[in-house]
This record gives sequence, C-alpha cells and structure tokens, in this order.
Amino acid sequence: MKFTYHVSPNIRQPLSTQRIMLELTLGILVVLGYNVGYYYFNFGLDYALHGAAMIATAVVTSIVVEVAWALFYKKNPLAYLKTSFPWVTALLYVGMMGINKPLYVIFLGSLVAIVFGKLVFGGFGQNVFNPAGVGRAFSVLTFGGFITKSVSDVVTGATPNAVMEKLGWVITDPAAVSKYLTQFNGLSGLWTGNYVGALGETNTLLILAVGVYLMLRKIIDWRVVMAFLVSLFGFATVIMLAEGMDWWYPFFFLSTGGVMFGAIFMITDPVTTPTSIPGRIIFAIGVALLTTLIRVKGNLPEGMIRSILFMNMMTPLIDRIMDGWPLKSFRKHLVAISSVALVGLLGVALTTTAIAYIPPYVAPEEKPTLGDLIKFTEVTQAGQISIVSSTQDGDVLTVIVKSDGYAVLEDEHSEDPQPNEIEIKLNTATQTIVSVKFTDFNDSRIKKNFIDHPDFLGQFEGVSYVDPEASVDVSVGATYSTESVIRAVVAAIDAALAQ
Amino acid sequence: MSLWIGPMRVHLNGHKELTSHNEIVTVKPKGEVFIPLNVSMNHRAEVLVKEGDTVVVGTKLGIGPEPFAIPIYSPVSGVVGKVIQMMHPWLKPTDHLVIKDDGKYTFARSFDPIDIETADRETLVAMMKEAGLMGCGGAGFPTFMKYKNPQGIETLIINAVECEPYITADYRTMKEFLDDLVYGTRAMLKASTAKNAIIAIKKNKHELCTKLQALLVNTPEIKIFMTPDVYPMGWERTLVYEYSKKRYDRLPSEVGFIVNNATTAVSFAQALRQGKPIGEKIVTISGDGVKHPVNVRVPFGTKVSEIIEAIGGYSAEDVHIIAGGPMMGKTITTDQFVITSYANAITVLKAQKIDPLPCMRCGRCNDTCPACLLPVRINNAEEAKDLNLIEKLRADQCIECGLCSYICPSKIDVTEGVRRAKRALQLRKK
Ligand code: SF4
Ligand code: SF4
Repeated sequence: MKFTYHVSPNIRQPLSTQRIMLELTLGILVVLGYNVGYYYFNFGLDYALHGAAMIATAVVTSIVVEVAWALFYKKNPLAYLKTSFPWVTALLYVGMMGINKPLYVIFLGSLVAIVFGKLVFGGFGQNVFNPAGVGRAFSVLTFGGFITKSVSDVVTGATPNAVMEKLGWVITDPAAVSKYLTQFNGLSGLWTGNYVGALGETNTLLILAVGVYLMLRKIIDWRVVMAFLVSLFGFATVIMLAEGMDWWYPFFFLSTGGVMFGAIFMITDPVTTPTSIPGRIIFAIGVALLTTLIRVKGNLPEGMIRSILFMNMMTPLIDRIMDGWPLKSFRKHLVAISSVALVGLLGVALTTTAIAYIPPYVAPEEKPTLGDLIKFTEVTQAGQISIVSSTQDGDVLTVIVKSDGYAVLEDEHSEDPQPNEIEIKLNTATQTIVSVKFTDFNDSRIKKNFIDHPDFLGQFEGVSYVDPEASVDVSVGATYSTESVIRAVVAAIDAALAQ
Repeated sequence: MSLWIGPMRVHLNGHKELTSHNEIVTVKPKGEVFIPLNVSMNHRAEVLVKEGDTVVVGTKLGIGPEPFAIPIYSPVSGVVGKVIQMMHPWLKPTDHLVIKDDGKYTFARSFDPIDIETADRETLVAMMKEAGLMGCGGAGFPTFMKYKNPQGIETLIINAVECEPYITADYRTMKEFLDDLVYGTRAMLKASTAKNAIIAIKKNKHELCTKLQALLVNTPEIKIFMTPDVYPMGWERTLVYEYSKKRYDRLPSEVGFIVNNATTAVSFAQALRQGKPIGEKIVTISGDGVKHPVNVRVPFGTKVSEIIEAIGGYSAEDVHIIAGGPMMGKTITTDQFVITSYANAITVLKAQKIDPLPCMRCGRCNDTCPACLLPVRINNAEEAKDLNLIEKLRADQCIECGLCSYICPSKIDVTEGVRRAKRALQLRKK
C-alpha cells in the first residue's frame, strides 16, 4: 500500500489549459475555414488554395521553430509542444494577414512571432507582448509596401479602413456615406465580411458567434469582450455626435479593421493581459480608446494591433496598481475604471473636433483623356445614322440624331445594342456649332464620363461648320464613341446646309 | 459584485450520492483506541487518569490548559494504557493515550442533564465547555468561547451546509438525530441571546428539509435557510454574506451572527439531555480509493486503518488518504492515525499524477477566491520573496479553501503557494 502525499486540494476542475487551447484552436479554425470557403465560392479555387497555403505555412513554421528551440535547449520537443501551443499563435497571426500575402511573408512573420514574440521571453506564459500581434506588426513594418500588391492573380481592393483613412474618418454627406458603404456591400456586407481582406478578420458576425460560444464555455472572459466593445461603440458614438453623423458610424466602427477578431481572440489572451477583473476591464477600455485615437487622430487604418501591443506593455503596471485586496478596493477600482472611461470619452470628443480639418471627400472624377485630332472629314468608321427630329427656333437649329456607337459596331457581348442619341444645336446665322449633348448614351461598356463630359463635348462649341479643317480631339479609349458623335454632328451640319 | 470581483464560489461535483443513502456501518475498534491529547495546535491536555485505571464511556481522561480548557472524555470502557506517539491529522506526531477497549461500552453520566426551559444562559454556556464541544474547522476552536460574551447578536446560524465534496456525515447525523438538532439549536439560541436562528441547508436536501419543517412548526424563531449548492457555502463568511449580504472583518459577531455547525448542535443536545459527551461519531469514508464508500459509526480514537479494513479495503495500491474532504483536508502518508472527536470524514482518492503547466495568468484563481484575494499575484510575490507585497495582497486572509488550485486550468498548486506566503508572513510577525 502506498499513501502518496499531495498538498490540498486533491480534486481539480475538468477544464484544463490544454482544453482551453484546443477549443480556442477550433474557434479560430472555424473563422479561417469559413473565409477560405468564402474565397473559393466568390473568387475561385486559386484564392482558396492560397489561403490554405498561408495557414499551413504559418502553422508548420511555428511548430518547426519550437521543435528546433526545444532541441537546442535539450528538451523533449513533443513534451515542449504540448505545453507551448505554438499553433494558436500561428493561426491568430495568419488570421490577421490579407489573403494576398506571399507565403514567404507569412513564413517570416510566423518565425518572428514565435521567436521574438514568445520564445525569447521564456516561452508560454512568460511573454509580454501578444506574439501574434508582434508577428503582424513585423510584417506590416517590413513588407508594408508589398502588402498591398497582389500575388499572381490574387487581386484585392482596399480594405474598408484603408478607404476610410483617405476619407479622414468622417463622412457626413449622405451620398458619400452610401457610396462608401456600397463599396463593401453595405453595413451588412461589412458585418458579414462580404469583401476581400485579412484571412480571419472580415466576417465580424461569425467571429462574434464563435466568441459567444467561447464565452459560454468560459474559455475567454466575457467581461473583457464586453468592456471593449461597449467602450469602442461609446467612443464611436461620441465621434458620431460631434461630427453630426448617423448611427451607421458606430456600427461601421465595430465591424472593420479586425476589431472583432482582436476583441475575441487577442485582448482575451490571458498571458499578455492583467490578471484581475478590474485590471482586464481597464486594459480593454485602454485598447478601445487607443484604437479610436489612432484611427481618427493618427488617421491610420491599423489601430487595433498597435493598441493591443501598447496595452500589453502596460499590463505589468496595471497589475501592480490593482494589487491589494479587491474586496476592500472596490471603490478604488470603480473610480479607476470610470475615470479611464471618462477621460477616454472626453479625449475622443476633444480630438474629433480637431479632425474636421480634413476636407470632406470628393470622389475623383472620371474624365476623358484627349488624344490626337480627328478632322470631321476624316472619320473612318461607318455606321448607321438617322435623324430623329430637326426643329428651327430663330437662328438655332436643333437636330436630334441616332448614331451607331461602340455598342452596335463593336461590342459582341451586348445583347440588345442601341445607337447613341445625340442632340446638336447649330446657329444657322453664324454657321457655328452651339452645343452637343447626349440625350441617350448606350455605349455602356465605355465609361460614360469619357464621352459624356464637358471636356470632350465642349470642344464642339463655337466650331465653324463650314471650315473644312474642323476637328476635335479624340477621347482616348473611346474612339468608336468619339466617332459616333462626330458622325452625328456631320449629319446635323449636312441637314443645316441642305436647308 | 460578482461582475467585478468574480463569483467567489463554484459549484463542485459533490459525489455525495456515494454515501448519502446507504446504511451506516458500525465499526468497533480492534481492542484499543488512541485518544489524541492535543487540544489545539500548540496545547497539550493534562492527563487525569493513570495507566491501569479502569474507565467507562464518559470518564474524564484529561483537560486542556486555559484558554483551551476542554475536557476529554473516554469514548469506550476499559483500561487505561500508555501514552504513545502517533500521527495526527494536523500532520504532527502527537501524544495519544491508549485505552484497552473491553467492548462493553458501559456508560456513566459525565454530568447531569439540564432542562433548557429552566436553565439560565450561563449554565448552558458552562455546559458547552464541560461537554468539550469544539468547532469542526481544523483548528479546534472551543465552541463556548463564542457564547461567553455575546453582544448585539441578532441571529444564530446553524451551519448544515456541508459543502466539501464526498462528505455526508453531517447530513446523516442530522437525519439520525433530527430531534436533537432542533433541541440543540433551541439551547444554542438561548445561550446566544439571538432573536432567531436559521438552519442553513443546501437546497437539494428536500427530504431532510420537509422533515425538519414538520418539527419546527411550533418554533417560529427557528427557520430553514436554503443555500445554493456551491463551494465554499459552508464557510462562515460566505454563509453570512449569502444570508445577510453583509461582510465582516474578523468575526461574524461583528455583524450580529454566531455560526455553529449542525453536528455541534446535535452533540450539545445529547450532552444536555443524556449527560453524554461526544463518544461515538458518524464519519464518511468515501472517494474512489475505497471499494465501498460508506458512513461509519465509530468511537473516536479508532484507527483509520481498522475502519477501512472493516468496510472492505482500498480499491487501489497508490492512494491519497485525506483527513477530511478533498478540498481542505490534508493528505497523510500513513493510515495509522485516528478519528478525532471533531473529525467528520476520511476521503481516499486514487493517486493521480498531475503535470502542471506554466501559469498562463488567466486570473481564474483571482475570480473564484472566496476571500477575494489575488492568488496568482500572491504566488508571484511569494516566488519573488517580496514580503511587503504579500502583506499588501492580504495573504493572511486566505482560508486555504483550495479553490484556487481546484480552478487552475494549468493544474498548479496555487493554494500551496498562498499557504507558503501566509506562513512567511506569520514568521515575520513573530
Ligand atoms: S485557498 Fe486561499 S487564496 Fe486560494 S481560493 Fe481559497 S482563500 Fe483564496
Ligand atoms: S488559475 Fe492558474 S493559470 Fe490561471 S492565473 Fe491562476 S495560477 Fe495562473
């Protein structure tokens, strides 16, 4: 018989760190898996494969690095892995990387995340900074230029925050708001991640659902998530009120830039956040505040990771401040948290008044680029012309002409091509052109603004129609449309001369 | 509150079904009992009998020094033997007085019964002392001390919560002696000067509650208070807070409460009614380390090895044998120790090897500590040997409930670290 000694207590709860890491891993995999599927169904197999390859690269790198580390320090690599969970870091890191990143970027990022984010501090439980955040920051700093380029045929548009950055984080004009939102399929598109972006960050709703599950399972602390989301919403609401925007703004604020991914997976990382509940709440409010300020004041799209890394640095300090007997420090903690929140609200309110100097956004106009001269007499393309109407009013003759353009003459894909309809006004007394304008533009494959634009049509004004050298400059990339207009004008001139 | 500092309690799997309904087994010592002579951690009783004396059940064997002047009575009849050293559940080798049991259990009253209707308060308190009543918390605090000078006491709380897993001894004792429970409660109520009393029972004990309710119809001043099934509901502070939402600094009397264990009330009633001090005990022997978990009825002083043999033995070769429950009870490296007069359980668990992981600073220990401490911070401070910080973190307030270790997902012995810190603090104070 053996009576083994062990200090009390001698029963343990079923939940173990291994279990926590397993469920966390599955949670992240659900999010990443969904996105790989999203790319497959919306952009094709190449995108999906590239996403999967990114995930594999990160995970394999992290494991290989830790095995090497364990071997170097003469530890059993398998046992080391089992208590170190490198793949969690790898999955989080790759979740924050855009689908268009080359694999070597992912490889280097994971390497840095594991080695400099974690191992140099002494491994699991010892690190100061969120290792995935370190990897991500490294990738942005080193490959910042690369990161917006595309890999082979993987092309991406700008992320919602990158666009918002150009807009100065404030849009009040309803038309501009709707233009902004429609780019990303509306607010619901932002919340469901219906746009191209980071591999794990886009589908806010899905991440939230996974998060709710993890919170119910007590894998992550709901207080941290709540404190963060509520304060971020609060700060965004302050900006909204200060700038006279609408309720779409706070909801937009919560849905982009990896905010939800960070809320569920990053700021709940136990190792790099404070250990007491009030401490964690202050941490969460801090991240929300910094994220807001970096966005609107620093005018950068990347608020979240910077804020997390900064607050990671504050964690030992917060823990120090919270040391004591919480039962007796209830008041102190309440005061601390409320003042952080209040200072945050005030700070945001004050800085937002300062952000208004950025002029409201005007979408860059699509203008015709004018090229070589085309003389009226040198029009090469033939096409049907029909005069719809012709009315004389004093000296001014108004002729409406149907003229075949690109749609009829060249566009094979157009199902029911229609000619353009153009109204030409001529002054029969001075024999000059008064104005040319479209009454019906049908060359829809041609950018309408290339032709139906004063820069192009204005050229006709005042041109003498008896001058044999009469000419206009061609709109580059829209030769067929240019010539359809010229033919219509010539037809109108003929009609005037025939009178 | 719990939003802020965590729930400060946890529901545990009680495993109570192992022993709550099967029959109580009577176990007789094999010829000898061993009476521990310590009355507190540092006080030894003076022996009043000589080797060779004949004693009966109820003979006074010894008495402790003031202020722990608690008498010790013989649980068996027979002949006094030598004083020998044995292991004690407080993990110290201790002097034990050997009594050769004649197996007859001849009983002579140790004191005269008292009628609580006519007796005054002082007589009742004197009886508590005379009957040798002790609190069931490990330290063996004499019960009468709480009643010596009651001031501003509003409510007497009879603690029948029994929140440690596996243990059902209190429950079975109450069921067996429900009458005595009520009688003892009335006596304590009178001695306490409180206006009313509550008997706190976990809300899943329906049957017991119904029976108790029926007995209490004529005593409106005693009420049943149902508590949630969480740990450590049976701790005075948690219980007082649950009932009154009040917190206190050192003693429950500060906010108008006296808290006593239900079995103490039963023992008190038996002393008052029959002139009988504590002799026989109902003790839970449970856990996955014994073949047949059961409640046993034994004279205190019986060796644990004999009891376990009598109920069918161990179920594994390597076990943790714990005096008390698995949360607060201490493992002992031998089964050659005895059931004390204030013991209520022996828990035997199959030994398990636990491989702790590094602390991931998750703060779960902080969130659940019923004393609202920050165990992980105390552990860090202990590692750094930063005594000032330990003091600031109030390690002295730890009740060693074990929840911080229990909850730790990395399976670290957090409680042990806090214990070390607490001890370091005590050493410095000296
Ligand atoms: S053992 Fe002490 S520190 Fe740990 S939970 Fe219990 S009271 Fe708190
Ligand atoms: S519960 Fe365990 S892992 Fe979590 S902070 Fe406490 S000691 Fe560390």
